[in-house]
Amino acid sequence: MLETVLEVRGLSVVRPGGAGRAGAELTAGADLAVENVSFSLAAESDTALVGPNGAGKSSLVRALLGILPRAAGEVRVLGAPLTRAGRLPAAVRSQVAYLPQQLSVRGRFPLSVSEFVGLGWEPGGLRLPWSDRGRRAAAVQLALERTGSACLARRLISELSTGQWKRVLLAFCVVRPRRLLVLDEAQAGLDPQAGEQFQSLLFNLRRSEGWAVLQISHDLEMVRRTCDRVICLNRSLRCVGSPDHALSPAQLERLYGQAFVPYHHHHTVPGGHSVRS
Amino acid sequence: MVIPSAPEWFSLLEFPFMQRALLAGLFSGGLGGLLGSVAVLRQLSFFSDALGHAALLGISLGLLLGVEPMAVLIPFAVLFALLVGELVERSRLPGDALLNVIYSSSLAIAVVLLRLLKSRGGSLEQLLFGDILGVSWADVIVQGGLLMAVLLYLLLTRRSQILGSLDQGLAVSQGVAVRWQRLLFVVVLAVVVALSIRAVGVLLVSAFVVIPACSARLLASDFNHYMLMASGLGAGCGVVGLLLSGLFNLPSGPCVVIVQLLVFLVALLLREMPSASA
Repeated sequence: MLETVLEVRGLSVVRPGGAGRAGAELTAGADLAVENVSFSLAAESDTALVGPNGAGKSSLVRALLGILPRAAGEVRVLGAPLTRAGRLPAAVRSQVAYLPQQLSVRGRFPLSVSEFVGLGWEPGGLRLPWSDRGRRAAAVQLALERTGSACLARRLISELSTGQWKRVLLAFCVVRPRRLLVLDEAQAGLDPQAGEQFQSLLFNLRRSEGWAVLQISHDLEMVRRTCDRVICLNRSLRCVGSPDHALSPAQLERLYGQAFVPYHHHHTVPGGHSVRS
Repeated sequence: MVIPSAPEWFSLLEFPFMQRALLAGLFSGGLGGLLGSVAVLRQLSFFSDALGHAALLGISLGLLLGVEPMAVLIPFAVLFALLVGELVERSRLPGDALLNVIYSSSLAIAVVLLRLLKSRGGSLEQLLFGDILGVSWADVIVQGGLLMAVLLYLLLTRRSQILGSLDQGLAVSQGVAVRWQRLLFVVVLAVVVALSIRAVGVLLVSAFVVIPACSARLLASDFNHYMLMASGLGAGCGVVGLLLSGLFNLPSGPCVVIVQLLVFLVALLLREMPSASA
């Protein structure tokens, strides 16, 4: 039995900017983005979080990482409880990585790819930039090579294409040992070929690193091919199970509504090859 | 306009007030550039402008209370920065619009107060544009100490500053206490702005923070290079601007800002040249 990396029990999240103050205790009439959600992730699993727009997927992952406050429920990462203020012990936090859909960077950002990946290697807390310079440089080089990004080391992060940027984000994750990787629509902005390459790289790294992956996705065909478990969310949990079960026409109709299912069938690529083990 | 000869340049350096001014220019320019390198990435340029304008209100409150304006200015600037920072964070109005309301009202109230008090703390022009030639050795030492302290602070919190500028979610997921780091940065910015007001002036203090950092942002090839360049450009512009001000008998603060602008235009030109962007 593989270790439980993430455990979520009865999680509710107030909609950011909604009625009731975010972070406040759950009150009657609060506008909830996520309501009473429970699930767990085992080590080395790849779980997709699917649901229509506005279903609360981003709110859920942001709350379980401590980015958004939660109104109710419990979150444990590697057995350590996430505090109400969103804190985890440093030793646990350093084993978690989050890939946002996009960064809030505008214009030229003077940070090289190797510097950015180096930030993923550094532990938190106060430290001078030249501490452990040699070890950091070696770890960064290896991470860039493993993600096929070594040629980008000196480029600025603001000058990367979307595909290059996603690979660099994976280098940021792989530069130190992690246990939990959370991705918010990692494939957004990628063309089908780049999306396929990204998923293949993620799959290989997950296998070799033993990551538990939780990824938000709208690409149900990709989910069917690459993930071993699916969580369907539409404010509350609608179903959890294997892709064959959770993405069956009946479940999709429950999740997205009647109009979606014929559309989905019309747009799927039959017989897409599976990268699942 | 007569171009001064080389001996005149050197004779200028013999005056103690000029020596103090040059050191103050070096330190305040370097300090502004260094702190500005992060402020610009954190999109706090307009915030530093609001702090500068509000500082005049702090000075006028000090005069109204009959105490040394600087003794009121620092706590006032820190409190103002924290309150406004929270207001911008929580308000549903765009941050730049809210800051505009705050800084223009602060300036208006301060000017009226100073007029009512008949400018007991010095001329309004001195407060608005600074009087770097009038700084004391104590001011120079404070600026030098502050430069060292800010350098150490930014080196120690470099990772948090960069991650916080990139994406709050990414920063939190990597264990950065984003809220506390932001508050601390805003407090440091407020202290630096308050202590630079005497030399630089209310209207131009934000230029010291923003312009050298923008020039460095256009040219730097990595983050270390960027911080060093922003600080170096700030310090260099401070010294050159002061020398020009002394030689041509022009107001010091505006001279420094004009030199900063020229450097920015050169950086813009270099960035836009095809070989630079290739």
